[in-house]
Amino acid sequence: MLEVKDVNYWYQTKNDALYEDINLTFDNGKLYGILGSSGSGKTTFLSLIAGLDVPKKGEILYDGKSMTKIGLTAYRNKYVSIVFQSYNLLPYMSAVDNILAALEITNSQRSDRKSYALDMLSRVGITEDIAKKNVQHLSGGQQQRVAIVRAMCCDAQLVVADEPTGNLDEQNSQEIIKLFSELAHEQQKCVIVITHEREIASACDVVLELKNKTFQTIH
Amino acid sequence: MNFLKRAFYSTKAKVGRSLLLTFVFSAILIFILAGLTIQSASLTAAENAKKSMGATVTLSANMENAMKDMQKNSNEGQRPDPGSFNLTPVDLDDVEKITALNNLSYYTMSSTTTVDAKSFEAISSEESSNTSEQSAPSGMKMPQMTSQGDISISGTNATATTTSFKGGTAEIIDGVGITNEDMDSNKAVIETTLAQANDLTVGDTIKIERDDKTYKLNIVGIYKSTESTDSRSMQMASLNPYNTIYTSYTFANKVKGSDYKNTADSVVFHVTDPEKMPAFVKAATATGLDTDTYSLTTNDQQYQQMVQPLDNVKSFANKIVLLVAIAGTVILALIVMLTIRERKYEIGVLMSLGEKRSKIIAQFFAELIFVLALALVVAGVSGQFVGNAVGKQLIEQQTTTQTSDATSSAQQGPGGGQAPSNMPSGGPGMGGNAQATDMQQQISDLDITLSIKELMELGGFGLGISFLAVLIASIGIMRMKPKKILIS
Repeated sequence: MLEVKDVNYWYQTKNDALYEDINLTFDNGKLYGILGSSGSGKTTFLSLIAGLDVPKKGEILYDGKSMTKIGLTAYRNKYVSIVFQSYNLLPYMSAVDNILAALEITNSQRSDRKSYALDMLSRVGITEDIAKKNVQHLSGGQQQRVAIVRAMCCDAQLVVADEPTGNLDEQNSQEIIKLFSELAHEQQKCVIVITHEREIASACDVVLELKNKTFQTIH
Repeated sequence: MNFLKRAFYSTKAKVGRSLLLTFVFSAILIFILAGLTIQSASLTAAENAKKSMGATVTLSANMENAMKDMQKNSNEGQRPDPGSFNLTPVDLDDVEKITALNNLSYYTMSSTTTVDAKSFEAISSEESSNTSEQSAPSGMKMPQMTSQGDISISGTNATATTTSFKGGTAEIIDGVGITNEDMDSNKAVIETTLAQANDLTVGDTIKIERDDKTYKLNIVGIYKSTESTDSRSMQMASLNPYNTIYTSYTFANKVKGSDYKNTADSVVFHVTDPEKMPAFVKAATATGLDTDTYSLTTNDQQYQQMVQPLDNVKSFANKIVLLVAIAGTVILALIVMLTIRERKYEIGVLMSLGEKRSKIIAQFFAELIFVLALALVVAGVSGQFVGNAVGKQLIEQQTTTQTSDATSSAQQGPGGGQAPSNMPSGGPGMGGNAQATDMQQQISDLDITLSIKELMELGGFGLGISFLAVLIASIGIMRMKPKKILIS
């Protein structure tokens, strides 16, 4: 589904490349974990596969089509959902309105958008009352669940998450990983989670570690 | 949820920011509205001025050519013979052709002469005569009649259209004035001081005399003159405004003699629009008018004097609108730019969801439109008051300058240097003080009211300013990279 082909990336000069000739393939129905130490380039890699940036060399193909040919905005709109460590919800809206806004932007084909959003929120423990509150009045765990539901509700097959449990306690972290697992296995989406926590990575189907400018498969 | 809904939520959630923007936008719109209302009022006032003041074209004998003829007829090296100076009165056949032209509002014919009072006494002062004196009411002296005539006969086709009556220096206080229906009649309108001095009322008959011929006049109206008297009128009774008797121009011609039948000393044509005056003169000349004998003198000085302060106010209002619009755009653009910097994170979120930049900009524009709607209400309520205050102040300054100019030019002498010398008493160019005051009154009544048109114009300006402000501020959005916003 997603193919990373001979990808190189650097910030200043080619000599300081973060990756060199990376070749990876990501499939639907699997939960991927990407491990790496701070500054190894995990988040930069996420920005490349999420269409927030383009490789300096090589290309990323989605279903055989080059991301640059699809267009970054169109790619983000149709094919990928991103979950950030800092949730990245629209602060002036309620939880349900955040999801509805995302469905509108991504041109979701669903006709029962509101009831679907409320239903999905209730599945992650966000009741209707909480769903109608401004997101700024929700806890960190609740906000992250809203962000995940936003990614789940969109029709995109690829879900990428950058340190989704970074701001959460252990219990909330476990719940979030469980959600990602369901997303991959029940909705047959390709979920890629960037993390530095090995416990989180252990729950993934495939774990890749970024080390010495390349990815190594852990399991 | 489209960008409009997001804009609404954002505006509602950020009450403080929305109120601040509304306040700033209202202030900008109030000044623009003030400028627009003053601009519009100036235009209306100028249009009204055109209608009310018009412009005049006077047909009279060509003085310059008459002088040349007199000099030509005199023997070389000798003084010109004063007796050979001859002014040809205006032929009514020529007048008839001109009255058929377009753009003519109305016309005033005048034929003046002096006569002696026979059955009554003319008003005079001690200076005017050293002949036998009689006591008169109001402490005035009544001299014996002189051979030059102590009464001025002002023949016209309608008293209402003469400058004295039009300009407000003469007013009918009893009876009626002379109209077109009174031609070939002996009807007369006399001044109230003259009437009181001689115990005359409407319906009485008076007698006048010229060249040993006596004429009877039936008093049909009494008018009050507020025209100021000068030293000349103290010396010559016929120049005293109280001694002016209005009659039909046909009666004045009859008194002057058979040579003056179907003539007038001068005819003042009132053109509907001062801008059409040159075209009117051209058309009048094209009727076959003998320009060697007659001249057409134009006068739109009064209109120009009235319109000049309005033009100044309009020009100032234009500058207000332009400056405030530019300043407003810059201020709003800066505020929106600051807001966008503050909302960088939100822009990043929307971009990460795949929202198009154009829609993000449209959201900010829509937010500004919501604010604009509120600001329009605030400006609509208060803009008229500001417009009134600024407009009145401006017009006061302008009219004070213009009125003093008009007064000083009027004090230079009758006619203001432009009216023909054979103009009857109260003809155009006379009564400058009264006209200046009248002009001031007319332009002081600058009607600054708010109409739908101005509100729509204001809305247009608001939209334009919002659009430009967002456009300038969105340069930043266009350059934003979601990765930089969200990840770094």
